Amino acid sequence: MSAVTIPAPAELDSLDDEDFRLVVRRFLAENYPEELRNPPKRLHWSENQGWYFKLAEKGWLCPGWPKEHGGLGLSPTKQIILTEEYERHGVARTNDHGIVMLGPLVIKYGTEEQKQRFLPKILTGEHIWCQGYSEPNAGSDLAALRTEAVLDGDHYVVNGQKTWTTLATDANWIFLLVRTDKNAKKQEGISFLLVDMQTPGITVRPIINLEMHDEFCEVFFDNVRVPKENLVGQLNKGWDMAKALLGFERIFIGSPRQSAYALSRLKILAERMGVWEDLEFQDRYARLRLELEDLKALYGVYVSKLKRGESLGPDVSMLKIIQTELFQSITDTMLEVGGENAGLLEPMEGNRDLNIGGLYIQARPATIYGGSNEIQRNILSKNVLGLPG
Amino acid sequence: MSAALDETERAESIRMIRDSAAAVAPPGGDLKRVRSLRFQDPGFDPGLVRQMGEMGWIGLRVPEAQGGAGLGMGEMCALAEEMGAALVPEPLIPCALSAGLLAALGGAGPLAHLLAGEMVVLTAWQERADTLEVPGNPDAPRKFLPMAAGADMFLLPVREGGRIALYEQLAARADVTIERTQDGGNLGTLRPNPGDAKRLADDVGEALAQALDEAALVTGAYLLGGMERAFAMTLDYLRTRSQFGKIIGTFQALQHRAADLKMQIALTRASIEAAAATLDAGATGDARRAAVSRAKARAAEASMLVTRQCIQLHGGIGYTDDYDVGLYLRKAMVLANQYGSATLHRRRFMAVAPETEE
Repeated sequence: MSAVTIPAPAELDSLDDEDFRLVVRRFLAENYPEELRNPPKRLHWSENQGWYFKLAEKGWLCPGWPKEHGGLGLSPTKQIILTEEYERHGVARTNDHGIVMLGPLVIKYGTEEQKQRFLPKILTGEHIWCQGYSEPNAGSDLAALRTEAVLDGDHYVVNGQKTWTTLATDANWIFLLVRTDKNAKKQEGISFLLVDMQTPGITVRPIINLEMHDEFCEVFFDNVRVPKENLVGQLNKGWDMAKALLGFERIFIGSPRQSAYALSRLKILAERMGVWEDLEFQDRYARLRLELEDLKALYGVYVSKLKRGESLGPDVSMLKIIQTELFQSITDTMLEVGGENAGLLEPMEGNRDLNIGGLYIQARPATIYGGSNEIQRNILSKNVLGLPG
Repeated sequence: MSAALDETERAESIRMIRDSAAAVAPPGGDLKRVRSLRFQDPGFDPGLVRQMGEMGWIGLRVPEAQGGAGLGMGEMCALAEEMGAALVPEPLIPCALSAGLLAALGGAGPLAHLLAGEMVVLTAWQERADTLEVPGNPDAPRKFLPMAAGADMFLLPVREGGRIALYEQLAARADVTIERTQDGGNLGTLRPNPGDAKRLADDVGEALAQALDEAALVTGAYLLGGMERAFAMTLDYLRTRSQFGKIIGTFQALQHRAADLKMQIALTRASIEAAAATLDAGATGDARRAAVSRAKARAAEASMLVTRQCIQLHGGIGYTDDYDVGLYLRKAMVLANQYGSATLHRRRFMAVAPETEE
């Protein structure tokens, strides 16, 4: 491994896939802060900015962006390898909405002026973005969103409320889906707007979630004036744009990594609790393990599709459902095996590997976010199985 | 040679096998033939076994030098899947098991006749229910011989000292009792007669273990084909049946159940195909056993879940013998536990598969 040298960012994509994997490992070993490995909670900007700036300095910040915009221009296969290695190393997510969501959207739909104005500031970390999609009455039914933008001279005036806005307290910019035509069919009256969080009329209020963490926020808009040049793409085409951005990245939400991590902790816990040899436990564990192995095989099927240059269909929803429900089953089992220790607020015996209650709580939103599993099943039944209605 | 195929060649080879399967199991074909053979002796059509021989299916895995097709598990599983979709009752899997065994012994005994489909040769290895172990007790009755009512010859593994020797015994003179099975076929019990058996080989232990593993995986693939077809029938029903003035497929409770079955089928396919690829890449010993057990455990459990839910989603009509979906349930009842139940394979997986590092 020491023989691996890390080439210039522009050359990473031309590496052989397995060499690339070794390069990523070396890069992480050399650059990733040890104390940030496998954090139990989503990190705030104050905690992860050192890593963000390190990635920026090395030119590794935006793996999926084309090279001419300062990205690594990696193929889907290499992006998957990169993600696998980040997960394997326990790399924390940064405040990455600009990198993952906004950047690709501006690159695809933005004007030249918008690209010049926004992309470099993501690369330097000057703009930290958050995503304003969900609303109190527009969750699973996102297209029902009501936050409104009305044109008044050179400005849109925005009124309404967003919620579940991840890390909004850290962000200085927010990208919004807003209603710009109340009379059109609900998907056809939505536009995409970029808003400076310093603009008067914006209030951010953190929400404490079940992890006792303030990762989510509510964001209120009270007559917020946004220059009309901050509209991306065509008026009333925001829904289609946001949907078109759901590309091969949807595979990540079904990555077996989360379940693999949890299962390895279940084993450690079972050994500590003295039930590892118990036959009933062994049967339950075997089922979970086989589910994980088959999930890995199914995940591999989708990775192979990407490698062959095929795009992913709606059936990729299966991965998300299987992964998140397995993650929950594993943590359900941990809860039972842990006995009274499962109710502890902090990891048992101060050992991060025995974080029973923490992991159990962490598994809860997995079946809700990214389109709840009920919505995913609707997608499967209508768009894959061709059932009516 | 099969291991040398690259991904594209393998996919093409598998596509060709699927196409050729249409000769016996035409896509969209009905189950009239299958129904006519049910609960009759021998439960299958010996003429069709010959046709399978001519098409090279019985020796699909047997090296070309020994008269086989020299293809891989990827192809064998694809073929079995097509057979399962059409519920083809001919004993292809047990015959292929015997062929693999005889080929491993250098082409001993009735291999040529077996490959040609002229003889149905069954390996009488099993002494109790739900096992993959071959004790080889000379006098022990050999049980659960699939389609034994139509067997021409039995291969008899017998323990001699530390090794398992192999004998052949003609079916015509053998003491065999037949019990009918839920799918319309039969299982035989053979009481061996060592005096009438001819010795074929001294040591077949490892060859038999491998042949049994392959048969378990191929049975999983057959079950996969069956559950896919039963599920497709069920989706058709959900799209057309109307109650309360609505197509029942619009009901979310049924849609979500269908989505759950689809996921089980997808996991089964991924598991079977991954196992076949593992074997084709040359896995032996515990690696082979782990891959096979994983796939068979999944296929056994998923096929029972999918076929019984297919009955439920059909309602009353699904409970009638006239309606084909029930045939898939009955087939799964017979095959889910053949070459090891889900429980057996889960246990074996845990015993042989190393924990992966995290």
